[in-house]
Amino acid sequence: MTPSSADVLIIGSGVAAAAIAERLLRHDARASILIVEAGGKVKLKDFGLWQNYLVTGKLPYDPYKDFNYPDRDHPGENASTGGTQIPLAGARVMTYGGSTIHWGGWSFRLKPEDFRLYSQTGESIDWPISYSDLEPYYSAAEHYIGVSGDSSDPTVPRNRAYPFPAFPFTLEDQPIANAMKACGIPYSHLPIARHGMTQTESRHAPCQTTGTCKYCPFGARYAAGNFLDDMTEWGNFPNLHLRVNTIVEHILVDAKRTAIGIQVVTRGSDVREVLTGKTIIVAGGTIESSKLLLRSRSSGWQQGIGNDADLVGRNFITHPYFIFTGAIAENPLRLQTEMDFPTLCSRHFDSEAEQKAGKFILVNPPGVPSSLSLVQQMQNGVRRPKLDAAITGSNQIQLHGMLEVFSRFNNRVSNLDRRNHLGMYETQVDYTQDSTFDSRMAEIQGHVAAIFDKAGASLVGKPSVSWRADHAACTCRMSRDDAQGVVDPDLKIHGMDNLYVCSNAVFDSTGAVNPTLTLTALAIRLADHLIHGGAAPLAAGGPP
Amino acid sequence: MREQTSHHPLSERMAPLDPATWEALWQLFIQIGRFWGNVPEPEPYRTRFQTFITSRMELNPLYRELYIQARHVIEDLIAAHGVEPAYEVLFTDPLANLAPPATPLQFTRQYVSNELIALQLALGGFLAFGALNYPGYFGGGNVPGAPAPYRTMQEEP
Repeated sequence: MTPSSADVLIIGSGVAAAAIAERLLRHDARASILIVEAGGKVKLKDFGLWQNYLVTGKLPYDPYKDFNYPDRDHPGENASTGGTQIPLAGARVMTYGGSTIHWGGWSFRLKPEDFRLYSQTGESIDWPISYSDLEPYYSAAEHYIGVSGDSSDPTVPRNRAYPFPAFPFTLEDQPIANAMKACGIPYSHLPIARHGMTQTESRHAPCQTTGTCKYCPFGARYAAGNFLDDMTEWGNFPNLHLRVNTIVEHILVDAKRTAIGIQVVTRGSDVREVLTGKTIIVAGGTIESSKLLLRSRSSGWQQGIGNDADLVGRNFITHPYFIFTGAIAENPLRLQTEMDFPTLCSRHFDSEAEQKAGKFILVNPPGVPSSLSLVQQMQNGVRRPKLDAAITGSNQIQLHGMLEVFSRFNNRVSNLDRRNHLGMYETQVDYTQDSTFDSRMAEIQGHVAAIFDKAGASLVGKPSVSWRADHAACTCRMSRDDAQGVVDPDLKIHGMDNLYVCSNAVFDSTGAVNPTLTLTALAIRLADHLIHGGAAPLAAGGPP
Repeated sequence: MREQTSHHPLSERMAPLDPATWEALWQLFIQIGRFWGNVPEPEPYRTRFQTFITSRMELNPLYRELYIQARHVIEDLIAAHGVEPAYEVLFTDPLANLAPPATPLQFTRQYVSNELIALQLALGGFLAFGALNYPGYFGGGNVPGAPAPYRTMQEEP
């Protein structure tokens, strides 16, 4: 039986919750923490479920993803109402461990200039903290989630080595690497959250390059669920508790400045109860964190907690993810899928020079040439001679990437007054891309075409662009000024004494890279803030 | 929503698979390697094969019936065509791959044969096609100073 109160109450069980809890418990093993998760628990590191994924492609956590939007033939759920559809289906997983259960593990740091976006470009707002403020926490985050990376990579400054060495570039990287070199475009190792083999102490198994990263049989790719399991099953933490299938309806406030608890309902039932906490952290991801604040209305917060300036849920952005395909006449190296994560990227265009127009990164994906799938061809009855010819013959290569876009006040997320298949309030996303997006993509296409040309490939059609909300962010921005941001630099909601937000929602901008490492750094920083005198000071102890 | 585990509640008292069906499935696994010429010596894979079949039935008891039916389908094909042509029909008949499956042959192709192809490739069948690693293969770790468990880039000077 889990308790109904705790010193620290965390809503959501993803990487932010796990990192905060780990840091607090390392400081004080008896810290009182209750983590509340709306979704259920999916069994990880299970050989039978892994084999099922191997031969069918079905993942055990698929039921915890959003359904597609409604269409003529399907009732669906959620709504996308702006000029640009932002798919939610597949973008996030509402389960124990959050979206880390399916993420790719790309673990980039933002660059120093990303923290000064407004000063550099006039777009969005500056972060109230600098890269150097966050640098020690980036290192702590890399060690916490177990990143394999190139410590000599000068792309961003660092004061501490990665815990594990970079994975060598694959043979599949060779054509793109040579082409980039010919174009004068530097490339580097992609930092990836996969545990490696070094003297670095770890209770988590190293990557065995098994190539089924969406369901790793060893837990070598960071997934918060594995780390939470480790803490609850092996750590001696008597006051750490987790509740799954518990949906938070709204946050309860006493006086205007004090959050006293949360109203929850058990999924699949009408059982409602109140859970209380001295410090409450909303860590349910960008979308759910914003929606929860918006529906937590009271006499003191008539538009929702922290929303007196009408900022909660606004300034929504995500990364448009683009895929360029090139045709090659032959494949003499018999390039095939050998890995399930990329090893080569270029942050050449993730630079101050490109910041005004929108930075972007390029990634050589695994699994090219994409048109060759041994298993599909054999299952389709293709005979060996034809299969060999397919491997060495004409094929395709790809370059993937992400483009930075800028926040706009009218782009927002909000609650719909109906429930999704998990019993949570459905989401409305209202987003319209900037009018300059197509011209920026045309500029990127010019760079990619030059790389493909040097690789002996010809560009095939237009790029595929996905606006899926995997990197949703900026809907509760961080600022010293409550007219510009929802939370202060300590992630505490302006006007509240003990209520924090820790998700990508607090980002002021996202640069051109995946946000998870930065979120993890912010989570560890928040834990330190709580340890060293936050809203409700924790038990005394030495620094972690 | 039931939490999916690798042990379905209905598999608790499931009767074991009979030896003839086990043998038919193993022969199917062998014939995949023979037809595509990618696994000349399958014996080292027998334990993983057995683990796979067992876990499929534990995950979903319907697989027990699919495997028993597959044995009969293959026996009928062999009676009609002879051994090697029988497997050629099973592996290459485009009608057997029509989804959703409706005939015994289609169920055998799509739920038994095709899954064993995926398993066989992941266990090592892919090696015959020139790669060192493959999705589902336990290639090994990234050990400093040791060769990578996959083909790596040769950087131009």
